[in-house]
Amino acid sequence: MPRAPVVFVVDDDPSVRSSLKFLISTVGLQVETFESAETALQKLSPEAPGCLVLDVRLRGLSGLDLQGELVARNCQVPIIFITGHGDIPMTVRAMKAGAVEFLTKPFRDQDLLDAISTALQRDRARREHENEIRELQQRFDLLTAREREVVSLVAAGKLNKQIADQLGTAENTIKVHRSRAMEKLRADSLADLVRIVEKLKEVSHAG
Amino acid sequence: MSSRSTSRTNIPLEDSITEAGASLESILCTPELQRRPSRPPDYEKERRALVALMSALADSPTTIFETLAETILDITQCDSAGLSLLTRDGKKPDACGKRFYWPAIAGMWNPHVGGGTPRNFGPCGDVLDQNRTLLFRHFERRYPYLMPVIPAAEECLLVPFYVAGEAVGTVWAIMHSDRRKFDAEDDRVMASLGKFASSAYQAQIHIEDLKIQVAEREKAEAEVRELARGLDVKLRRLVEANVVGIVTWNLEGAIIDANDAFLRMVQYDRDDFTSGRVRWTDLTPPEWRGCSERAVADLKASRIFQPFEKEYFRKDGSRVPALVGGALFEGTGNEGLAFVLDLTAQKRAQETLQEAQQTLYTTQVELARVSRLTTMGELTASIAHEVNQPLTAITNNGNACLRLLANHNLDPGVLREVLQEIVADGTRASAVISRIRAFIKKKPAQKSLLHINDVIQEVLDLAAHEIQKNKILVERQLKQCSPLVFADRVQMQQVLLNLIMNGIEAMNAVTERARVLCVESAIDKSGDVLVAVCDSGTGIDADRDRFFTPFFTTKANGMGMGLPITRSLIEGHGGRLWAEPNFPNGAVFSFTLPVATGVAHA
Repeated sequence: MPRAPVVFVVDDDPSVRSSLKFLISTVGLQVETFESAETALQKLSPEAPGCLVLDVRLRGLSGLDLQGELVARNCQVPIIFITGHGDIPMTVRAMKAGAVEFLTKPFRDQDLLDAISTALQRDRARREHENEIRELQQRFDLLTAREREVVSLVAAGKLNKQIADQLGTAENTIKVHRSRAMEKLRADSLADLVRIVEKLKEVSHAG
Repeated sequence: MSSRSTSRTNIPLEDSITEAGASLESILCTPELQRRPSRPPDYEKERRALVALMSALADSPTTIFETLAETILDITQCDSAGLSLLTRDGKKPDACGKRFYWPAIAGMWNPHVGGGTPRNFGPCGDVLDQNRTLLFRHFERRYPYLMPVIPAAEECLLVPFYVAGEAVGTVWAIMHSDRRKFDAEDDRVMASLGKFASSAYQAQIHIEDLKIQVAEREKAEAEVRELARGLDVKLRRLVEANVVGIVTWNLEGAIIDANDAFLRMVQYDRDDFTSGRVRWTDLTPPEWRGCSERAVADLKASRIFQPFEKEYFRKDGSRVPALVGGALFEGTGNEGLAFVLDLTAQKRAQETLQEAQQTLYTTQVELARVSRLTTMGELTASIAHEVNQPLTAITNNGNACLRLLANHNLDPGVLREVLQEIVADGTRASAVISRIRAFIKKKPAQKSLLHINDVIQEVLDLAAHEIQKNKILVERQLKQCSPLVFADRVQMQQVLLNLIMNGIEAMNAVTERARVLCVESAIDKSGDVLVAVCDSGTGIDADRDRFFTPFFTTKANGMGMGLPITRSLIEGHGGRLWAEPNFPNGAVFSFTLPVATGVAHA
């Protein structure tokens, strides 16, 4: 079972902090509050699923500073900004850096809860995707060098005979490599194999 | 004939000379005329003499006296004959003259022409005093000044000479020896010829007078013609110099002619006007028509209009500022002449100067505004944050409770705790607001005694550039003795500047009528000072109080704070500010202020 998501709240005002915790907990979510960006940075780990409700104006590091710092640490927790007086340039900057929503205080409770729901969904999807890639990568790591060569040529649409010619070996040998690789990658069909290779290629390109 | 240039006998010029020598009786022998045997009249000779006088009158009237003298010389066979005339100026006979002069002498005394005798001490005066013919013997015995007049007169016969019924002189004949004696016939002939000569002379004088009158009239006419020609030349020079625009026109609106300067100014061709396509009324922008109509009214009343500033449309629709003055021509009824002076350069210079002043002023105002806005911006940020925090907490807590209530999941212990938080946050929000209010109130008004008219004038000066730029006509209807108020000068300036700038902006879109801004000061019924700023702009709708609601604005870049602040400034001074529609267009913003108490109106 994956860990239950947590809504992290960062606001320097104790009343706002506790009211947010109370409000968010009414929909059955776990809430953790921080009084500053610095304490949040110490406690947040990339592994912890959830989202961040972040006040822009904070003592010390501002909400926008914290967002920048998290991106730098490759911590991709979705962020919902809340502010007393947001202006357009500030909003644009926050949204460009990946914020889910930008809410002006006082906001409608439903707007906040919807934003949190969206953020958590996005976080869950991202984590699932990451898990899948990680597992595929682990399977791919089991392949021998020759098997990886064969798999990439198969995925490129080459026939066994063509691959054998290219690698200077017999067609039967290629068939053996190919079936072993499919077994290790737990691919049920040629189409499955192609999909797995494409996904891994995506990640390696992105990474 | 005689010549005036001959040597003049030295005769005293005094009006009268003290009696000396012989008595009058001793030199007079008039009765002898009747006793002496009279020679027979020579009518033939007399007739010739009259003809000679007549022809003298016809041919050369000025010589009539010479002819008379020569005629008498001839007829009486005397040695000298002549004429003495009373005169004031030495020329024209005049019964009130103080001296006789001798205009004509024939015979031996001819060299003495132009001489004369005093009125009151001499033989001629004696004749006029007695108004009859007198015969003298050696008159120099009584009148010694006549001694140098040589040769001496043995006998002298003098007959009064009349002009227009008045005795103005004498006709005389002299014998320098006892060769012959005068008799009654000489008296008769001389009187007769004198009378004729007098008539002729009067005719001549009359003609001379007429000639003088004619000459004077001709001279006057010539002068007028010369003057007119001079004026015409000068006027034409002025027109052709093209330093000012000159236009001839009629009251119906036609431009009859215009010089090049005017054509250049408005960029039309002469043909546009002479053909009647373009009339001067077409050249006047709508907002200046009022001024032009006033000029036409002046023309009709007094035939001239005083120079005034206005604008003309150029052919391309742009405008040229000008000074215009003119008059109707004499007699023609509805045609006249106007001069038009291009004021573009002056206006530009004026604008440059005003712009410089305006820039300075704008900078000051902008500085003040920025510092106020900065304060205000910081204030709003502070308000937003300080008030939003507790409000957010209250909203969140309230919403959370509602959610739990809906789920029948609200624990009373939790509720109590949350309600306490809500109350605490509410208290906190109101404390923030109290703090801000205290901050805003921090700066008290600096009140002093002010003449409200001075403040109005200061603000109109401040707004002069905007007024001119927007072509606003400003009218002042200020109370004669400027009312005194006890107020903060800067705040009053802000109030008036705000109302005046609003008025100007409200007239921005007005093109079809004059843009008139009227500022009035008065004392209202309750004795308060009343100031009204009236415009002819777009006006206000029924919901007049909306203007005073914060953040309400009709302007593209307005903040909607001007009138609320203005009203609060006036109310802070114990006055009222309100808006009304103006008639027929525009709006009136009025405010009252209490008259400064205990101080006599200046």
